[in-house]
Amino acid sequence: MGALIAFVFDGLRAMCRGPRLYWWWLGLLLFLIALGAWSYLTQLQEGLVVTGMSDQVSWGLYIANFAFLVGIAAAAVLLVIPAYIFHREDVKDVVLVGEGMAVAAVVMAITFVVIDLGRPERLWHMIPYLGEFNWPMSLLAWDVIVLSGYLLLNLAIPFYVLFHRYRGREPHFGLYFTMVVIAMFWAISIHTVTAFLFSANASRPFWHTALLGPRFIASAFASGPALIIIILQIVRAVTSYPVKQTVIDLLALIMAVALQINLFFVGVELFTDFYNEGAHAASIHYLFLGLGESHSLRPWIWTALGMNIIAVIILSVHPLRKQIRLLNLACVLAFIGIWIEKGMGLVIPGFVPTPLGEVFEYQPTLIEITVSIAIWAFGALVFTLLAKAVIAIEMGHLRHSSGTAVPGEMIS
Amino acid sequence: MLLAFGCAGLAGAQEPVAPAAETTVGFAGYPDAPALSVVPRQDEMRFFPCEQCHKFLETESQVRELSSPHTNELDHGEGRLWCLNCHEGEDRDYLVTLLGERIEYNDSHLVCGGCHANRHRDWYFGAHGKRADNWQGERRVYNCAHCHDPHEPALEPRAPEPMPPVRKGLARPEGGAHAPGFPWETQTDSTEEQP
Amino acid sequence: MSAGKKATGGNDVKSRSARRAFLKGIAMAGAAAAATPAWGGRTFQDAMGDFFQKHYLRMSPDEVQAAIERIQRRAQDRFGVDINVKNTPAQAGVVFGYAINISKCKGYRDCVSACVKENNLGRDSQVQYIRVLEMDQGTMNLENGDHYYAPETVPQEGKFYLPVQCMQCDDPPCVKACPVNATWMEPDGIVVVDYDWCIGCRYCMTACPYWARHFNWSEPEIPAEEINLDTHYLGNRPRPKGVVEKCHFCVQRTREGRQPACMEACPTGARVFGNLLDPDSEIRYVLENKTVFRLKEDLGTEPKFWYYTDG
Repeated sequence: MGALIAFVFDGLRAMCRGPRLYWWWLGLLLFLIALGAWSYLTQLQEGLVVTGMSDQVSWGLYIANFAFLVGIAAAAVLLVIPAYIFHREDVKDVVLVGEGMAVAAVVMAITFVVIDLGRPERLWHMIPYLGEFNWPMSLLAWDVIVLSGYLLLNLAIPFYVLFHRYRGREPHFGLYFTMVVIAMFWAISIHTVTAFLFSANASRPFWHTALLGPRFIASAFASGPALIIIILQIVRAVTSYPVKQTVIDLLALIMAVALQINLFFVGVELFTDFYNEGAHAASIHYLFLGLGESHSLRPWIWTALGMNIIAVIILSVHPLRKQIRLLNLACVLAFIGIWIEKGMGLVIPGFVPTPLGEVFEYQPTLIEITVSIAIWAFGALVFTLLAKAVIAIEMGHLRHSSGTAVPGEMIS
Repeated sequence: MLLAFGCAGLAGAQEPVAPAAETTVGFAGYPDAPALSVVPRQDEMRFFPCEQCHKFLETESQVRELSSPHTNELDHGEGRLWCLNCHEGEDRDYLVTLLGERIEYNDSHLVCGGCHANRHRDWYFGAHGKRADNWQGERRVYNCAHCHDPHEPALEPRAPEPMPPVRKGLARPEGGAHAPGFPWETQTDSTEEQP
Repeated sequence: MSAGKKATGGNDVKSRSARRAFLKGIAMAGAAAAATPAWGGRTFQDAMGDFFQKHYLRMSPDEVQAAIERIQRRAQDRFGVDINVKNTPAQAGVVFGYAINISKCKGYRDCVSACVKENNLGRDSQVQYIRVLEMDQGTMNLENGDHYYAPETVPQEGKFYLPVQCMQCDDPPCVKACPVNATWMEPDGIVVVDYDWCIGCRYCMTACPYWARHFNWSEPEIPAEEINLDTHYLGNRPRPKGVVEKCHFCVQRTREGRQPACMEACPTGARVFGNLLDPDSEIRYVLENKTVFRLKEDLGTEPKFWYYTDG
């Protein structure tokens, strides 16, 4: 018990130590969070009327980010599988960083849902027994379960491993291997359930397709590694933490395949909808071509498509992918491309036209944008702090030795 | 007398009156239909009783142009009807059915039903017409003439209530996405000049 | 849970009740620094009562009574009016059904206006339970419908009119979607919302194929003198911001045998409402003797709302 307290305490202390750049970074994040918090306060007072959402388009930027971030969270499994199932030592080194990212992504996803609520103070209505929980009927109830479960798993595994490292012991393989296997399936489930959240709606033909689940997984396995590749390079640059190039190569390969599959899925969707332009096709028509005078998503989706195509070319051509600059470009393009395609490009057209055929467009407001940026900043903050502690422990700078930790100089 | 119907509207509905029982020689109503009473209308008629004037006038069975106060155009039946098809010639305080039965104004639906038998049936059973007050309990139904001027039965077009608002702070996109007509219409447009 | 003191139409400020004036007087006399009352103008006890209020179906009769009294005080506070909040239960052996004769609907929108007044719908917010679509003759494609028609007179040449509102589906996708059971189908087939339980996630709006569910993006504004004081807990009682609401077949009227406001207002008698379980009812006659259709029947939601035509 004393060791546990010391572990938490030392971890927190590691988070509070760093060079000037670290503090500037934290300062920037806190500033963005404060800005968003202020915007959110306005939203709480006035209601969701401060957003661009309407009865016609009743979900917007918030839920778009949510859908995207669940994918990022799920993608952590791409480090977990090679590390623990295929025993890739190089991947094992960074698997905790990936899990930190998963935690941050889930935290962001949950926050995006909470700030989207009209009555956040009634969240306790969801707690089983205390409130009412419409499980198993409501897909949103499923999502609450899988997301909070995934959060717990991704906190528990690193915690367990790190706590043992901290005390200089080896983690019990059978125990954490079980947890890892559960986490693997859980990762797939969070994104499948999130896809089902949309595809369950027979009222929205654009989402009501069996392909949505696979498409979500494919795009997640492209956008997730894109972010991990960039994060790992940043970790490598600002710390002395060993990030082997082989890990990045592996992730780039996974990303290439996932992005190819994702583009294939998009093509399949386009064919099915456009070959017979029934009611099913109205939303996709709106997205890619516009309906009448309304076409605000058109430039976005073509940009996204272009970005994804460039990214897939870079990633698929061996010599191009090997160049770290081009790889980074591909990562950035794929990340943004999928953010558009799966966020705004997926959520908004589901509402346009409405089930009664009305075409009403959605434009996020400044408040929505500031709040969204703040949540991303919050996620970055969570990840930074977790990574800071994780790296300190993994590098062996933090060890439980008669109550005091060795002050680390892990920051290069 | 044509003026007497006017447009009394729905507002002045009063006590229910059971349909006259003695007028069932030819048509006996629909025994399966849920019980109904007809909202009376006779008291709302402007010139009633008609006999005030008509008792001094000779009944002329000749079809002709009418003079004041009955100069309204009869826009009913496409020229196939005139006054005495519905109004009792001998006592103008009554209407008359095709079988010659004398009908009170409050039971005018029995006259309408003579031609509009399908509508009349629907009205009895509730698929046409308008029920007053409630859905449960005593069933009071408006008479045909409450909504339809018998001399000009089609309803007048009028202005609609305001269009729906959009959410506070948002503007309705201009133009909208009202789809063009049918594809074959545009086809003929492109091939030949249509007037 | 700020009880939105500002966004209530502005007229309420004048018409505070004597009770509140009295309380205010005491507060002033007490020389407490209470220029603005805490808890959004409510007592601490009421604020706590609101926060911890249970799901409607889980409350004991006493708790329902206490909740109703809080709702009444809230209405007094917001609008300065004394509302009556009923909780009339469903009648046994009654399942409501609705049918519209689209040959008769002329697009006047009288039903819409009557509904807004009857159900205390926010006047400047978007919420209207009924949408009347102006459709091109020869097609049933809703995407061709005009929601915002405003010609000088209706009906227009070449058009027909299709009013759409909650279909009170017998297998309602909105009820399935709600994560907290804040919406459910009553024994008389009406799908209702507990406005004090809804968390405002709007998933039900996504799930509804008829666009029948509406959200209070801001505090609904209603002029105090236009408030319908005859309300039902599950129906037209004043709603707060941030919750979803929908057509409830005027539960405050229909459970007492009265007609829904839209039916009463319809000048053409196009609307037929009644008990689907009563073989002698008008609605049953329509279903059995007219050619009827339901919107989006293929989605399997079993709407209890039919359309028919003359002929």
